[in-house]
Amino acid sequence: MNNAQKKIFVADDDADILEVIEMILKTDGYTVDVTKNAKEIFTQVQENLPDLILLDIWMSGVDGREICEQLKKNELTKNIPVLFISANSNIVDITNEYSADGYVRKPFDMAALLKKVKDIINRN
Amino acid sequence: MVNTDKEYNKLLLEIKELKSQVSEANEIIDAIRRGEVDAFIVKNEDDHEIYTLKSADKTFRIFIEKMSEGAITINRDGIILYCNSSFAHLINIPLSKVIGCPLSQFIPDVYKDFVANLLEKAWNEEECKAEIIFRGEKNLPIPVLLSASTLEIDGGLSLSILITDLSIQKKSEEQLLQKNKELEDAQLVTKSLNDGLERTVKERTEALVKEQKRAMEKKDEFITIASHELKTPVTSIKGYIQVLRFNFEKDGNAMAAQVLGKVDTQINKLTTLISDLLDVKKIETGKLNYREEVFDYNELVKEVIEETGRVLTKHTVKHQLDETVLIYGDRNKIGQVITNFIDNAGKYSPQNTDIIIETFKEGNKVKLAVSDSGIGIPKSQQHMIFDRFYRVSGAKENTYSGLGLGLYISFEIIKRHQGNIGVESEEGKGSTFYFELPISNSLSHE
Repeated sequence: MNNAQKKIFVADDDADILEVIEMILKTDGYTVDVTKNAKEIFTQVQENLPDLILLDIWMSGVDGREICEQLKKNELTKNIPVLFISANSNIVDITNEYSADGYVRKPFDMAALLKKVKDIINRN
Repeated sequence: MVNTDKEYNKLLLEIKELKSQVSEANEIIDAIRRGEVDAFIVKNEDDHEIYTLKSADKTFRIFIEKMSEGAITINRDGIILYCNSSFAHLINIPLSKVIGCPLSQFIPDVYKDFVANLLEKAWNEEECKAEIIFRGEKNLPIPVLLSASTLEIDGGLSLSILITDLSIQKKSEEQLLQKNKELEDAQLVTKSLNDGLERTVKERTEALVKEQKRAMEKKDEFITIASHELKTPVTSIKGYIQVLRFNFEKDGNAMAAQVLGKVDTQINKLTTLISDLLDVKKIETGKLNYREEVFDYNELVKEVIEETGRVLTKHTVKHQLDETVLIYGDRNKIGQVITNFIDNAGKYSPQNTDIIIETFKEGNKVKLAVSDSGIGIPKSQQHMIFDRFYRVSGAKENTYSGLGLGLYISFEIIKRHQGNIGVESEEGKGSTFYFELPISNSLSHE
């Protein structure tokens, strides 16, 4: 299976970051779905189940931690790996507490981001 | 005839003798009646016996008369046979008007039945003690204790009653009660004041804590917002630059890729500055979080050397590591200290010189040292370099970038890990920055 068949869903309230992550992921050939509106995550994810979700923690009015918690409780989405992507200094603790599958610190290094994504996708 | 006369005279003498004896006996009896005889001395067959009369009777009479308690005796009909002056004085009636009268006459109406029952008990040899109130001079109440018991006199039974004036005792009791009440009232007032004070202190403390908490939350909020707001644009700039660089490299435009690589390096510096500023703010507010774990030390040191080595392209980074140890601490933050030492070595030493990283296991500690052949630090300034905002001073002070926060943060991190941090340096020859950390003895840390 090549990367084009691997679908990654990205949620971040900053349009530029969303765009740049999409560009970076596409350099490795992944299919990318994005949303700026965190409230739509559930509908979008359930309509079209991704192989990986990249989730910002602090999204204008919506808490990424709660979304992760709900995704992990939902029968349909609980096995989809979630990577937190955030500038929050407590990201390690948050990742453990909300049973996310990993984290990427902002600002991130392109190569490091791609390596982390590749590791998680291959693991699953 | 003669014999008859003789007999007559003898009888006369005997009569005279007997008269004299009777007269003497009468005198003794009179003397006893008058109280002039203290004692008899009676001669027995082999001894003398003394019988005292006056002293016993008189002593007891005087004692009863003079005692402060009232004393009366009554017969079975309740008539007062004897009464001492204390009782008469107590009820404010002359003694002569008391003796021969019924006791009930002097008992206040409200107590008449009660006292009658009480005395009946005494006649039956039961314990008999009770407090009542007499009316004395000016009809004033006098609390007394009645105590009665039967008394056998001249073969007949009478009742002796002792009346003890309790006025002083009652007054003392009342005073004591009053004092107790005053004390209780005072205690209540004190308690109420204490409660009030405690409440006020508690309320004030709570308000203060709340205020401080709010202030801390504001600071925390500021740090969180600042972190988010500063890092968000840096994240997209860095992302775009890296995508551009990737595309230039792919298209074979090496020059553009190299320029963008430099931009990326500057963005990394900017990221470090932002992190440092936020870390200092967190240290100030005690909010710098440590995530402690047991980790392999050499693994971390090698990782940091590899990362920093990629950036320090104009220096030769060499390392010589002692056998690895386990450390209990925040891996990222200790990595941050090593990065800071290596970055500083690069910043303050000329191009094409060596930066040497060494570790030494010494007892239960491990020492890491980063040496350079740079500008060094004058002895006079060495004690200040770990202070916040300290920067190299002198002629070259404006030629080096930085806010002077890195070593301060490093100092705080190492201090938090119970370690030592220091520098050995000679101006113009170079510096060796080092820190020591305690070695962890096991994989799990208690």
